[in-house]
Amino acid sequence: MNLRLDPRTKLLILTVFSIVMIDGDTAGVNVYLKPALSLLPFILLVLSGKNKAAFGYISAFLISWTGNLVLVPMVHGGLKICFSLVFQLGSRWFPSGVTGYYLITTTQISEFVAAMQKMHISEKFIIPFSVMFRFFPTVAEEAEAISRAMRMRGIGLQGAKKNPITLLEYRMVPLMMCVVGIGNDLSAAALTRGLGNMRERTSICRTGFQKPDILFAILVLSGLSVFIIF
Amino acid sequence: MDNQKLNTKDLINIGIFSVLYFIMFFISGMLGYIPVFVVVLPLVLGVLGGIPFTLFLTKTGKFGAVTIMGILVSVLCFLVGQSWISIIFGVVFGFLADLIFKAGKYKSWKFTVIGYCVFTEWVIGSMLPMWIMRDVYFEAYRTQGGTEEYIGSVMNLTSGFMLPAVVVIGFIGGILGVYLGRAVLKKHFQKAGIV
Repeated sequence: MNLRLDPRTKLLILTVFSIVMIDGDTAGVNVYLKPALSLLPFILLVLSGKNKAAFGYISAFLISWTGNLVLVPMVHGGLKICFSLVFQLGSRWFPSGVTGYYLITTTQISEFVAAMQKMHISEKFIIPFSVMFRFFPTVAEEAEAISRAMRMRGIGLQGAKKNPITLLEYRMVPLMMCVVGIGNDLSAAALTRGLGNMRERTSICRTGFQKPDILFAILVLSGLSVFIIF
Repeated sequence: MDNQKLNTKDLINIGIFSVLYFIMFFISGMLGYIPVFVVVLPLVLGVLGGIPFTLFLTKTGKFGAVTIMGILVSVLCFLVGQSWISIIFGVVFGFLADLIFKAGKYKSWKFTVIGYCVFTEWVIGSMLPMWIMRDVYFEAYRTQGGTEEYIGSVMNLTSGFMLPAVVVIGFIGGILGVYLGRAVLKKHFQKAGIV
């Protein structure tokens, strides 16, 4: 089964998550609200056929949620700092991170652009934004390759002890060199496809709200209002 | 086409460099788990962001580019869990920096230094809750299971007079970063013919 949500619904879910989940309060109504909300990305991932990611996420969340409530109050000192750091990461940032992952992996860029056009966002934001979308994985790949190359030449943390600036220089400069190169290629490709044409774009991607969109929007919005009121 | 307006190539460059700048922000934010770094975050960000930012400026010397970058970076910050105040700061400081760069016609070195320092101050938006919502902020930390040691040291570091100090620290970071950026630009990028 393949569920298709409108990119705008996905953005709404992500926004609500970055308001509700990242706040670390676990008292009162939050004890029920947060685990309930955190089920959403799980459901979404399962419905779009990403079972592995879904189950990995839900188990990581459950472990850190219970760890946070049970284990952290039991220990003291340095152990407590370590535990709470790890569990906070798992129960606060991880749900938003997974929602972001869901947004990026299940949305085609052209679909996303079409949705943003419907939101009447200026072209001046749509283009950089869609570039950013595509660029995070690229930068990570390039950085990884550069760090491997540098390690092969023996430029690692060892040299950084003597002169920390060199670490910055040997990592950043090659990265920026290739990023600028990729940027030039990308703009050439985009211009050939008529992105420089300032007329309104057409798209074969259908965007529009359907029943599942309304359902999920109601779910997260009611979650948000419960969070704000209580 | 009018050369003063942002064209598609510039917009693509804005996207690319916003990603780089945001990664620098993320690295300096992660250091915030060590209490001292909470206060020197603008310094670290200023230094790390200097190289991408100077290159960015030389690639797109047009009005509006820095504003858009400020907005994009701060919206991303909001999505990864900073408070919404950072969006306002991103817009305002991005725009101010843009005005300064424009006053220097995107060429004058003096204006570039000042402009980058101003731009770096946007990060204070994400730190501001520590001061203006002090009680709520630290109370939240406590219920989240933050340890007393950490909270105590952060509270000591962020007493009232530290706010202006953080602004100054941001400026210092900006100056260091922009000089570093220029040095790297001269040493590498001009030689390689990229600028």
